[in-house]
Order: sequence, then C-alpha cells, then structure tokens
Amino acid sequence: MTRLIGANALIVALGVTVVGLLLVTFGARRQRAEWVEAGYSATYLQFALVTAATFAMIFGLVSHDFSIDYVAQVGSRATPLYYTVISLWGALEGSILFWGWVLSLLTALVVFWNRDRGGKLIPYTTATLLGVGIFFQILLVGPAHPFGLVSPVPLDGPGPNPLLQNHWLMGIHPPLLYLGYVGMTVPFAFAMGAMAAGEVGDTGWIRLSRRWLLGAWAFLTAAIIAGMWWSYEVLGWGGYWAWDPVENASFMPWLTATAFLHSVMVQERRGLLKLWNLNLIVATFVLTILGTFLTRSGVLTSVHAFTEGNIGYYFLVAIAIVLLLSFVLVAGNSEKLTSDGQLEGTASRGSVFLLNNLFLTAFTFTVLVGTLFPLVAEAVRGVKVSVGEPFFNRMTVPICVALLFLMGVGPALPWKAADRATIRRKLLPPAIGSGVALLVALFAGTRDVFALLAFMFAAFALVANVGEFVEGARLRMQQRGESAPLALSELVNANRRRYGGYVAHLGVVAVAAAITAASTFKTEYEGTIKKGESLKIGENMAVRLDEVWGREEPQRAVIGTTLTLLKNGREIATLDPRMNFYPTSQQPVPTPAVRSRPTGDIYVNLQAFQQDGSNATLRVIVEPLVPWIWLGGMIICCGALISMLPVPGAARVRAAARAESAERAPGATTPVTAS
Amino acid sequence: MDDAIPATGLNWRRASIAGAVALPIIALLAFGMTRDPGEITSPLPGKMAPDFALEVFAQGEPGQERMVGDTVRLSEMRGQVVVLNFWGSWCLECRREHQALTNVASEYATKGVKFFGVLYNDQPSTALRWIQEMGGQSYPSVNDPRTRTSIDYGIYGAPETFFIAKNGVVAYKHIGALTEAIMIQKLDSLIAAPSS
Amino acid sequence: MSSTSRKAATLTIAGVIVAAAFGYMMFGGLESNVVYFLTPAELVARGEGVYDRAVRLGGQVAPGSVQWDANALDLKFRVREGTHEVVVHSKGAPPQMFRDGMGVVVEGKYVRAANGQSVFESKNLMIKHSEEYRAPKDGQMPQEMYKSLIKGVSS
Repeated sequence: MTRLIGANALIVALGVTVVGLLLVTFGARRQRAEWVEAGYSATYLQFALVTAATFAMIFGLVSHDFSIDYVAQVGSRATPLYYTVISLWGALEGSILFWGWVLSLLTALVVFWNRDRGGKLIPYTTATLLGVGIFFQILLVGPAHPFGLVSPVPLDGPGPNPLLQNHWLMGIHPPLLYLGYVGMTVPFAFAMGAMAAGEVGDTGWIRLSRRWLLGAWAFLTAAIIAGMWWSYEVLGWGGYWAWDPVENASFMPWLTATAFLHSVMVQERRGLLKLWNLNLIVATFVLTILGTFLTRSGVLTSVHAFTEGNIGYYFLVAIAIVLLLSFVLVAGNSEKLTSDGQLEGTASRGSVFLLNNLFLTAFTFTVLVGTLFPLVAEAVRGVKVSVGEPFFNRMTVPICVALLFLMGVGPALPWKAADRATIRRKLLPPAIGSGVALLVALFAGTRDVFALLAFMFAAFALVANVGEFVEGARLRMQQRGESAPLALSELVNANRRRYGGYVAHLGVVAVAAAITAASTFKTEYEGTIKKGESLKIGENMAVRLDEVWGREEPQRAVIGTTLTLLKNGREIATLDPRMNFYPTSQQPVPTPAVRSRPTGDIYVNLQAFQQDGSNATLRVIVEPLVPWIWLGGMIICCGALISMLPVPGAARVRAAARAESAERAPGATTPVTAS
Repeated sequence: MDDAIPATGLNWRRASIAGAVALPIIALLAFGMTRDPGEITSPLPGKMAPDFALEVFAQGEPGQERMVGDTVRLSEMRGQVVVLNFWGSWCLECRREHQALTNVASEYATKGVKFFGVLYNDQPSTALRWIQEMGGQSYPSVNDPRTRTSIDYGIYGAPETFFIAKNGVVAYKHIGALTEAIMIQKLDSLIAAPSS
Repeated sequence: MSSTSRKAATLTIAGVIVAAAFGYMMFGGLESNVVYFLTPAELVARGEGVYDRAVRLGGQVAPGSVQWDANALDLKFRVREGTHEVVVHSKGAPPQMFRDGMGVVVEGKYVRAANGQSVFESKNLMIKHSEEYRAPKDGQMPQEMYKSLIKGVSS
C-alpha cells in the first residue's frame, strides 16, 4: 500500500512536471497568460506529489515495510528510530528522492513568491526549475526507483551504511548540503529565465536571485562545516579536511557563489562585470551538478561516495545538456552584457572586490584541476595517479592568505577613490592588530611563513571588520545620542546587507585562525598501554587506561575503553573512545572521544585492543582552537541570515538609500533602486 | 535542462565557440565513465580456487542433496564444474537471483555441475527460515561460521558467485545478482572444456 | 575611447601574464605533487626516479612477513604482488583488522636504507577489502575479537 502510493505519486509527478514545463514555456512564448497560470499550478501539484512520495518512504522506513526495495536495502529492525528516519538519504535512491523533494519545494516557493511580480522572466525561470525537476523525476521512476517491489518480503534488512548510522551529524549534514546544492538551482534558473526573456541586461534577475543565493550559500556553508565536523568525529584520524573529491565538490560551488556575492555589488554600484556575474551563477550551478556526477557515478574514488548502477549515464547526459545549453546561452547573450560604468581609482572597495574575485576564481580553478587531474592523466598518459594534499595546500594556502588580507582591506576602503589620509586612518588599527598577532605567534613558536601571514592577516581582518561596527556605532552615538547597544543594533538594522557581510567576515576569521592554529600546533601521541598505566600527553597531562569493555547493542557490537584524563596528576575528565562492529562491515567504525574546550580539543582514538582486555593502543591528538571552526561556521551563517532579513515595508528603500548615501561616491553611475 | 530558447538576439558565432569548448569537458567525463577507480582488480580468476571444508546446514532437493552435517570439501570435486554462491538472508540482491540459481542448479545437476550456497555473515537458523520463505533451494548450502572461506575468496559483499572449472581453477567471478543467461553461458563453456 | 581601449589592452596583457604565471605554478605543482599508484613490480621497475617521492603502493601483505613491536609502535611487513615484494616500514599501530595476506594500500615514500636495502616508509596504511586475502589465524576474526571481551568483561 505504502509502496504503491509512493511509486504512483512519482509517476504522476513526472507527468505533471512535463505538462507544467510545456505550459509555462509555450504560454510565455505565445503570450497565453492562462497557460502560464496553469503551469504555475502544476508546480504546486508537483510539490504535493513528491511530498506524498517522500512521506510514503519515511512511513515505509519507520514501519519497516520491507516489501519496499529501498527499505529492504537500508532498513533494519535493530536500527534506532533516528537513524531509520535519516536513512532516507543513506543510499542513492533515497537521496535522489530527498533531493527531488527539496527541488519541488523550492520550485513551488519561487512560483508562490514571484508569480505576481518579476515580469517576463518568471515563466522561463519556472521552466528551468521544472526542467531540472524532470531530470530527478526521470531518475526516480527509472534507474533510482526507490519503491521497487521485493518478493517475497524479507523479515529484516541489513541496516544503513555503518558510517552513516554512527553519528547524529549525519542527520544534519546531508539535508543542509541538499538545501545548498538545490538552492543554487534557483539563481541559475533566474539567470536562464532572464536570458530566455531577453532581460539579462537588467538587474532584475540579480535582485530576485540575491536572497535565494544568500540562503543557498548559508546552507552550503553550514553543510561544509557540518561535513568537516562529521569527518572529525567519525573517521578517527583527527582531521576534518582531506581534499577528497566529495569535499571538493561541495567547496567549488561555494567558492564561485562567494565570488558572486561580492562581485554582484560591483555590478549594482558601478554597472560593471555583468557578463562575469552571469558566468559565476552558471558556473556555480554547473559545479553542483558536476560534483554530484563525480561522486555518484563512480568516476572518482572517495570515502564518501555512494555509487553504482547506470545512473552515471543519466548524469552524464544531464551534465552535457546543462553545459552545452548554458555555455551557448551565455556566450550568445554576451553582447548584451557590456559594462556601463567604471571603477574609480585603484584604492577603492570596487578594486578590492575585483581582486577578491580573481583569487576566488583561481582558488576554484586550482581545486577543479586537482580534482580532475587523475582523470586527465589516465585519459592522456594512461597512468593511475592521485593528487595529494601537498598540491592543494601549496596552491591554496597563499590564496587563502591573500583573501584574508583583502577581507580586511575591503571593508575599510570606500567605493570612491580613497585619499591617503583615509587609507592611513582606516588601515592603521588593523595594521597594529596584525603586528600584535605576529609577535604573539612568533612567541608561541610559529615559524612557518604562511602560518605567520595567516595569523597576521586574520588579526588584520578581525580588527578592520570590528572597526566598522565600532566606527559606525560611535558616529550614531555622537549624532543621535543613542546608547551603545542601541546604536549598534540600529546600525546593523539600517544596513543589514552590509553588516551581515561583516559578521560573516568575522566567522571566516574564526575559521581561518582556528585551522591555522590547529595545523600549526597539532601534536600527536600514540602508545600501547596496559590497564592502569598512563600515556603522557605533553608536559603535564596524561591519559590512564582504566578498562577495556565490550557490549552488544541491537544493531552492532561496541568495544570501548574507559580512560581518565589527568592534568598534573589530578583527574579532570573521563573519556571513552570506542570501536563499533557492524555485521555488514568487516572493518570497525571508530568513535573517537573528544574533550572540547574553547582553547582546543583533546582527541582520543582507540586504534587497537588486546582481546583479553589487558591493553589498548591509543592515539591522542591535541588540537588547539578546533571548536572555533564549528563556531566560526555558525557565525558565518548568522551573518548570511542578517543579510537576508528584509527591512519591513517601504522603509527599506529609503533606509538603504540613506545609509548608503552617507558613504556612497558622489559620481555613482548606477544607483540601485528596489521595485 | 531548460528548453526555453530565446526568440531573438543570440550571437550564434560566439555561442558555437562556447559550445565547442564544452565538448572536450563532456568527453573527459564520458571517459571517466568507462573506467573503474577501484584500483587493483581481483587476481583470483585464473588461479586455483582455495580449498575448504564446510558443514552442510541445508540439504537441498533430491538429485543434489547432501546430508545436514556432512563436510563438503572442494578438493573432492576435482573433475567437476563447481559453482559457489556466497549469500546471506540479509542480502537483497540474493533474493533477486535466488530463483535463477535454483532453476539452473536443477537443470545442470544432471550434467555434473555442483552448486553450493555458502552462508556469509549469517546464522544457519535464519538462513533456513529464509530458504523456506523463498520456496526452497534446490542445491545444498554450507555454513561458513567464521567467514574464513569467505575471506579466502575475498568476499566483499553478498552475493558473489564463483565458477570453478574442472581443473579447480576459478574461471569466473560474478559480483551482484546473477541471471540464468549468464550462468548458462558460463556453464556450457566450462562443461565443454576438457578436464586436464 | 582610446584611453579605455588602451586600459583594456593593458588589463588583458596583465591578465594573461598573471594567468600564465599561475598556470605555470599550478602545473609545476602538479608534476611534483602527483601521487602515483603503483604495484610492487611497477615500483621496482621504475628504478632511480621513484625514490623520495610520494607513491601509493598496492598489493597483498606477504604471509609471515609482519613484524609488529607494540611497545615501540613499529611495524614492518612486505607487500607482494605476484613474485615482486617491497619491504614496508611504518610507525604507529596498524588498523585493528590488519593481518597477513590481506590487500593493502600504503601511502608513503620509497627510500634507501643504510644497509643498501630500500624500504618503503609508509605514512598511511589502508586496508583494501575487494582483494582476496588468506585465512586469518584462529581468534583473529572480527566477531571473535570482540566476543571474548563482551563475555569476559562486565561493562
């Protein structure tokens, strides 16, 4: 019953989507408003149907309905409820279903919010979204059909992939990632819609896309950080980023989207970079699809990949269509995208944005080359290679350092050409800050040049961005006599987009400083110790092995150790790193024990144990500041949220105009007007 | 994926150049599809199949049956074509191939082909229930209690099936569900080959 | 007009120079940082060029070759493929499931040791499951490893 509801809902959804696509496209071409309206309604129906299928699947999972192919594949009666529900995205078919559901939700929302405004491009935008929707629905009725019949019905299933049922973060990371990925489809659809409607020269589509892009960007940021956290907490090697193809796949669209968030301001203010911005939006979407293709089709190996079947060919066809269509449309429209303004002076915020885009693009390109190089090498020279971490680090660390520096310079500079006095006044405090950071870092024992630069520029950016808040609030306090907290909140409220951006910068500073500190000052200790013995950690700390124990859980067997963390001989904490044995996996999945403090983590992983429980081999990693990576990610997302919040009512146009004119160059060529 | 083509104003010269740029990328990705990144392939086919001695827990149907508790040794079956199917009751693909295996096993029992199921990561009691539920299994199944034989054969997951020639060499290894057509093709060529 | 086009030309040239420098850096970086995936036979066949650069070596752990010193956390074994063998040395505990005869991929460098015999210094040891590997000794199966503990020790 559940199975039939799900299966049929998906088939009908595909039909509805195809009809909807035809209706909006031909309705717009032939100017038949009632066709377009009917097409809009189809998006709601599509959402309802895919929702029905998704809920049918969740119900099937929770009720252990093993007649459903997907449930029989990932379900198990022994799996706890939480992991049963999240196994919705634990394997290929379910993740495609979930993806399709998010896409149908966003499509319906785009239509709901924009059908009565936004003009000619909305029907084509809807058509693009429905086109992408058709792809996922073809997958769902074809090669990734999750509702196949299993006969006779099994009594029980194997349960989800051990790596996915080992940590609660797996309930967070994939949905965030899908929201980020799918969210990037919406700005792309606006861009395609604008091109199809011949409105690509206007800023209309950019205005419509801004919040969508910011939202998707925030989700993608959160997803990347959550993914790092998951790999830190589950994989047991004490790291969080390995330049794995799957990680790169999520990082590349993030880079291009970040570049767009900055360069779009140059277009809004100065009428420049129109073609460039269009390219960034298209590239962002293409990179999300490329990343999905690389990791779902078995082209590249990865710890995270779940692969299989002929689904890769469908992706190949889709990616070919997307690439050809978007390249052809963008190039064919490029003449309409000439600049109608220019930058003023080299030392202005606009030129910092240009540099920022240059570095972010170089960053993206480096990651892309590093990811695809094994494929190229095998195609051209027939050798199997992999591109190691050294390549990525060597290439990207200087870029990161430069970006950190720009992140401090940009906010400090005005849009118009800055005179020397302004530059000196604005950049002196950050420069002092970076000097202090340099001394502290040298004193702490940093010797690596790039690490020193990273600490310096992180401090530079920190002081510069905090300075913007301080200066703005102080001005308000003087001019309006507001109290400090009021002045600060009013300052942010009056220009949420700008100050939200600065908040995000502070988050990036936290992440960058934490990663630099963690990789510079990371120390590792490893040893085999007997029960009652201790392993020394640094000068004054140690872990004592109290017990090696085992317990049987319904879905797995757990071997753990009980450890006591000692500081100067005093007991300060109990730790219990574990190893989990799942019946479907020959290799145990570790659960390291992490003791987190704002100053850093003590990370203990159980490497091996003696079967009689007499000793255990432990690896202890001391990693300073690591929690600030996760915290910084949250700060970035808060910044994006602040930037997204609308200022209520018409006040927003005036408020924005007022706040910006205070700082705006007199010769602004394309003032932003909100409709 | 958008089939809305703008009515006017596309610069086709630039558009076609851009399209030409896209093609090599697509070609590279298509090439990626043709290869398996799984690094080293299994060296087992073409080598002697590892011997084993495993206990029967499901006897199979007349014509192929072995007593429950009997020990099956591969070395005793030299000169015969042997098919080893590693399976478990928890494995979904095993259900898919079960009917085909049972049918082909009965058909080829008269031609001197021995089929054995090898239970992988499972309990005989649940496996017996599974066989009953599936409507029987024509060939006997042996238990691999410590998955030692499975390790000998390098089992990665279930189902995996090994076709062993008369001279004891692994002729073919199949990963995933089998179909009757594949089995018939392999078996016919193995039966035709002389036992050296 | 002419000043803007001159500006554009300058910008284009600057862009090309930057891109070329970047490209040079990147492909230079790729050449020296690419990690080759080799079997023992290929490693030996490569001769001089293979020393002191990052390599991933794949093969089987030669039966009987494992020497593990739990106190010094020092592991030595040979990786075999066909008739070729390479001595691998690594610091740190091997994965719990590591044993004779199984498929492994080790990441590291091939270096000349003092006694003239070359050793593969491993930084990272990964188990490969798709390989077939030999029967483990008694008491080394995953289930056995934890069963004795679950019975023996109260949690």
